[in-house]
Amino acid sequence: MIYVVTALPWEARPVIERYNLKRDDNCKFFPMFKGSNMCLIVSGIGKMASAIAAAYLLSGGNAGQDAAIVNIGVCGAVKQQYPIGTPVLIHKITDHETGRDYYSDILLEHPFAEGSVETHNQIVRREYIDSGQSRVCTDFVDMEASGFFQAASRFLSPHQIYVIKIIGDYLEVEEYDKNKITGLIARAMDDIHGFLEHVERYCRHDEPVFSDAEQQQLEDIKKRLRLTVTQGHQLAKLAAKYKLRTGKPLPDFSDIIVDEVKVKAEGRKAFEEIRRILAAE
Amino acid sequence: MRRSEGYSLLNRFSHIYIEQKALSYPVTDRILKRFPRSVKVVVQHYKDVFNRTHQDFRRQKDSPKLILAVKQEPFLYQGPEICEDFGNKNFYYASCVLNCLYDCDYCYLQGLYASANIVIFVNIEDFFEDVQKRIEYENLYLCISYDTDLLALEGVVPYASKWIEFAGGKQNFNIELRTRSANYGAVKRFTPAEQVVLAWSLSPNEVARRYEKLAPPLETRLKAAKTAVEDGWKVRLCFEPILKIQNWQEIYSAFLKNVFEIIPADRIFDANIGLFRMNREQFKRISRFRTDTDVFAYSMVCSGEGIMSYAEGERMKDFMHRQLIRYLPGEKIYS
Ligand code: SF4
Repeated sequence: MIYVVTALPWEARPVIERYNLKRDDNCKFFPMFKGSNMCLIVSGIGKMASAIAAAYLLSGGNAGQDAAIVNIGVCGAVKQQYPIGTPVLIHKITDHETGRDYYSDILLEHPFAEGSVETHNQIVRREYIDSGQSRVCTDFVDMEASGFFQAASRFLSPHQIYVIKIIGDYLEVEEYDKNKITGLIARAMDDIHGFLEHVERYCRHDEPVFSDAEQQQLEDIKKRLRLTVTQGHQLAKLAAKYKLRTGKPLPDFSDIIVDEVKVKAEGRKAFEEIRRILAAE
Repeated sequence: MRRSEGYSLLNRFSHIYIEQKALSYPVTDRILKRFPRSVKVVVQHYKDVFNRTHQDFRRQKDSPKLILAVKQEPFLYQGPEICEDFGNKNFYYASCVLNCLYDCDYCYLQGLYASANIVIFVNIEDFFEDVQKRIEYENLYLCISYDTDLLALEGVVPYASKWIEFAGGKQNFNIELRTRSANYGAVKRFTPAEQVVLAWSLSPNEVARRYEKLAPPLETRLKAAKTAVEDGWKVRLCFEPILKIQNWQEIYSAFLKNVFEIIPADRIFDANIGLFRMNREQFKRISRFRTDTDVFAYSMVCSGEGIMSYAEGERMKDFMHRQLIRYLPGEKIYS
C-alpha cells in the first residue's frame, strides 16, 4: 500500500487523476482519496499539518512492512541548479526551527535529481536570504517535509518513507499559481509513478514462514488445546524453527489433537507431545 | 545497479554520509575520490544516520551506504570473554570500522547495530596515538579487524595496510588481522612482521556457500592463507563458528583434511575452534527477523554468563578438537 500526503489540493490533483482515486467521505478530518493500492490525504500547509496527516494514515495498524509513504509537493530552490519543474528525491531533511535532521534510506534506483530540503514554518523568500535574515544550508526549502518525516518514522522504516519535491520557484514568487503547480506535478507524474511502482514491489512482505493452511492449523491447535497466550507464542516459535531447520511442512498432529479438550491438563499433555515432535528433528 | 523482481537496487555506496568534522581528513578525501559518483550528504553526527530508529538491517544490506565519521575516545576496548585471547595478556580490540561488506547469516553485527551501513572512522591516527601511549608502559594484544572485515575493505580504505605499517618493529605490541577475504594481495608487499598475525576464518564449503554470503569461497581463502604462509607471515586458522548442519561431523572432518592438504600444518602459527555462540540479547533480537535462515532455529542453551550456544556444544567442540589434533600439536590449538 502506498500512502501519499500532499499539502494542497492542487498538488494532489495530478496524483488523484493518475491513479483514479475516489474521495472517501467517511474521513471527517481530511480530504481523503482512495484507490486499489493507494490512499492520499490533503493535509493543509505546514509541518504540523503534514505530521498529523501522516500519523492519521499510518496509525490505523494496517500500515506494516509492506507499506510506504510519500510526501509530494512543490518546493523552492535556493540555487538555480535545476530548471523549474524538476522532481527531486530528498535525501536529507532539516527542520529549520529545531535544527534536527532526518534521512530517507535511498536503496532503489530512481529517475530523480537528489537534494536536501529545509522545512520552515514561514515562506522563505529570496530577499530574506540575501539580507542574511534567513540562513539556509540545504538545496531546497519547503514547509512540510520535517513534520511529515518525523511522524512517519514512528511507524515505518526509513526505506519506506520518501519525500519528492518538484521545484516550483527560486524563492521569488509573490503569489502562487494553482494551475501552474498542478501542471508541474502532472509533468513529473510519469517518473513518480514508475518510482512508486518499484517502491511498492520492494516493500512487499517477504515470504511468510507459514502457509495459510499452516497458519490455520496452528490456530486450530491453540483453540482445541485451550493454550494460554504464552503457550500460543511458544507453539508458533517452535513451529517456525521446525520449518526453518527441516525445510518441511508442519507435521500432521491430528492423532494428538482429536477433540477440544475439556480440562487444561489434557491440553498441556498434548502440547508437550507437540513440542517434543517439533523439537525432535 | 542490481535488478531484482520489478525494481533495481542502487549499487553499494551509492551514498556517502560525511560528518562535518570528518570533511577535512585525508582519509575522507581519498574515499570520496575513490567513489566520485556517489551522492555526498553532510551530516552533523554519524549517529544521526547510523542510529536512526526502525532501520531495516536486511534491506540496508541490499544497498549499504558509507558513513565517514570522527571517532571520539575511547579508541580501544577490552576484549570480551566470548572471544579467544590466544594466551595474550591485555587483549583489546579497535573498531576503526563498524559493519562489514559480507553478509554472513550468523553475524552478530546484525544484532549489535541498528544499521547495516558501514561506518569508517577517518581519524585512524588517533587510534595509533592511543596505542603508542599504552605500549610505552604495557604489552598490548590488539584485534584490529573487529566488528568488521578490514582486509575485505582494503579497496575502500587501506586500514589493514596502515595497521601493519604502524605495528612493524614496535615493542610490546601484537595485532591480529582476521578476515574471511582472499585479499592477501593488498598486504603482500609488506615484509612479514613479528608483531602481526594474519588470521583466516575458514568454514567448509557447505557452510561458506550457504551462510557466508558475499564472502569468497573456501578455495580462494585457502590459497590466500597458503601464500601468506609461504611468504613468511604468522598465519592463524580460525575454525569458527562451527555450525550445526546436517552431517556436521563428516563435513567438518573432510573440511579439515582439505585445509591441511593445502596449507602446511607445520608452518601454521596457531589455530582456534569456536562454536557458533552469541550474547543472549543479540541472539533474541536477530532470531526475531532472520526467518530466512536456519542458523537460529536449533536448540540452544544459555550459559550463566548470558551466552547462547548449542545444547550439545561440548560434544561438538571435543569432536573438532580430536579432529584438529591430527594435524596440529595440542599447544597450538585454542578452544
Ligand atoms: S565476515 Fe565477519 S563481520 Fe563480516 S558479515 Fe561475516 S561474520 Fe560478520
